[in-house]
Amino acid sequence: MLLEISDMRVHYGKIEALKGISLEVDEGEIVTLIGANGAGKTTTLKTISGLRPVSSGSIRFQGKNITKVPGHKRVLLGIGQSPEGRGVFPGMTVHENLLMGAYARKGDLSKDLEEVYGLFPRLAERKTQFGGTMSGGEQQMVAIGRALMTKPRVLLLDEPSMGLAPLLVAQIFDIIREINRRGTTVLLVEQNASQALQLAHRAYVLETGQVLKSAPAADLLNDPEVRAAYLGGDLGQPEEETSETG
Amino acid sequence: MLNDFIDQFGPSTVGGLAAGAIYALIALGYTMVYGVLRLINFAHSEIFMIGTFSGLAVIMTLGVSEPQSGIALIGLLLLLSVVAMVGSGAAAVALEQIAYRPLRKKGSSRLAALISAIGASIFLQELFAIVVIPHLYDHPRGRDNIGTQQLLDKEPLFTLGNTDVRPDHLIVIVASIAMMIALDFFVNRSRIGRGIRATAQNPETAVLMGINIDRIVRITFFVGGCMAGIAGLLYLLQFEETRYNIGFVLGIKAFTAAVLGGIGNLRGALLGGLALGLIENWGAIFFGSAWKDVIAFTVLVVILMFRPTGILGESLQVARA
Ligand SMILES: Nc1ncnc2c1ncn2[C@@H]1O[C@H](COP(=O)(O)OP(=O)(O)O)[C@@H](O)[C@H]1O
Ligand SMILES: [Mg+2]
Repeated sequence: MLLEISDMRVHYGKIEALKGISLEVDEGEIVTLIGANGAGKTTTLKTISGLRPVSSGSIRFQGKNITKVPGHKRVLLGIGQSPEGRGVFPGMTVHENLLMGAYARKGDLSKDLEEVYGLFPRLAERKTQFGGTMSGGEQQMVAIGRALMTKPRVLLLDEPSMGLAPLLVAQIFDIIREINRRGTTVLLVEQNASQALQLAHRAYVLETGQVLKSAPAADLLNDPEVRAAYLGGDLGQPEEETSETG
Repeated sequence: MLNDFIDQFGPSTVGGLAAGAIYALIALGYTMVYGVLRLINFAHSEIFMIGTFSGLAVIMTLGVSEPQSGIALIGLLLLLSVVAMVGSGAAAVALEQIAYRPLRKKGSSRLAALISAIGASIFLQELFAIVVIPHLYDHPRGRDNIGTQQLLDKEPLFTLGNTDVRPDHLIVIVASIAMMIALDFFVNRSRIGRGIRATAQNPETAVLMGINIDRIVRITFFVGGCMAGIAGLLYLLQFEETRYNIGFVLGIKAFTAAVLGGIGNLRGALLGGLALGLIENWGAIFFGSAWKDVIAFTVLVVILMFRPTGILGESLQVARA
């Protein structure tokens, strides 16, 4: 197992945001974590990246217990993240933002940069534009590209579709599929459940800090409870959307 | 009145730039720490004070007893610079470690950090007045002004119109600007500088880039401390005295300079420092030099009321530093 979380609890002050969640991500998978606003999805990713301490439970990565490893060292181990809200450095150019992804490692970056610019030709056209002046979709590309520059074994994506027009969402999801095809494991957090379930191999449903269900993504797409709660009960629409644009 | 102004404009301008250059160097420390931690490091004024005393220690240890010139002067100034930078830089790092880091780790409020800063400031002043100055500087009355040997010749180097330009003025202005340029390069071009900017712009994302925030904070305090150390040394060269609370008024003026230029903005600190030095010295022509401090703090209040982001705005965060 690449990433293995067991019975993880996380607090903000006295509030328990994660009440003992367990999840696993295997090499090569796309796993999605869906759930309503406030369910604890972002907290889960932040804790995996070491931005929040755990109160109890453990995180294992490549068989090694990393629960106590400081966040900045987890990047070098191979945990990359594109955070919620994108976290683009506003006063740095697109190119500088991408280089920040490689801050912690040494060596020649030209091949990695080339690969990122290949995935996101739009960024290649805007290398010298400041991050703060870019559109939401472009900032999302910067955030994903920058996370790829960390050379992650597992890429954590926190709501990459947030605030984007449907066409752009489809484009971003295609790129996530391509990143996975090239060998990077993906843990995708989404509120846009229908599209995430169509992309992912497996899924976890999070509710108020607990795992409600976990199953192959395709099964959840047809699960009446999940459909009622997260897919607006209407399965046809999102599929049309993807076939239209994908 | 106008005649006075015309008469004294030149000398006031030189005096204002020399004073402003020192404000600017101190302001850098406030602005860098604010940029990275959103903390007003109130005890930064004492880091400046420690810079003056570090310089003084070298002068006393070497037993310098007359103004120097040529190679001897250059060597002495270099040695003084290194000692003042290391002294103040190390003090700033210790301050962060003891007074701020524990609070930060506990997630305390910014108010708690500010109160800790004020406490540290008073602690350091009293430590010097009661312990360090009487015992290490052999000066039983720890609250007196402590004079030092004149290090360089102060005969005017040249005269512009009716304005004499003295070597100490020139050294202060040139050294400050050189330090600013070096710092600007460091922050904008070096790898650590990128880490500092990233941390200032988004600390959580910075961790996701593999940046060790604690290390960046330590370096930021050290570098800001070095600048204050140089400022302390330049002050000593110019005024040939220091005091346990020498940092108090200068610190607040430097803070004013940082706010004037836009706190968090390195180039703003330079601009704010020079502007403040000029404003108070030009103003002194009209109101008398006793009014300098009043003028400086009126400026602070007025900016805070009408343009709290200062002349250039918070730029470590939103644009290039
Ligand atoms: N910085 C914070 N301080 C206090 N509570 C927080 C903080 N961030 C998140 N929470 C709480 O933790 C819970 C989970 O939040 P989050 O992980 O952001 O959920 P999601 O990403 O699924 O919307 C929510 O109840 C939220 O209010
Ligand atoms: Mg979230």
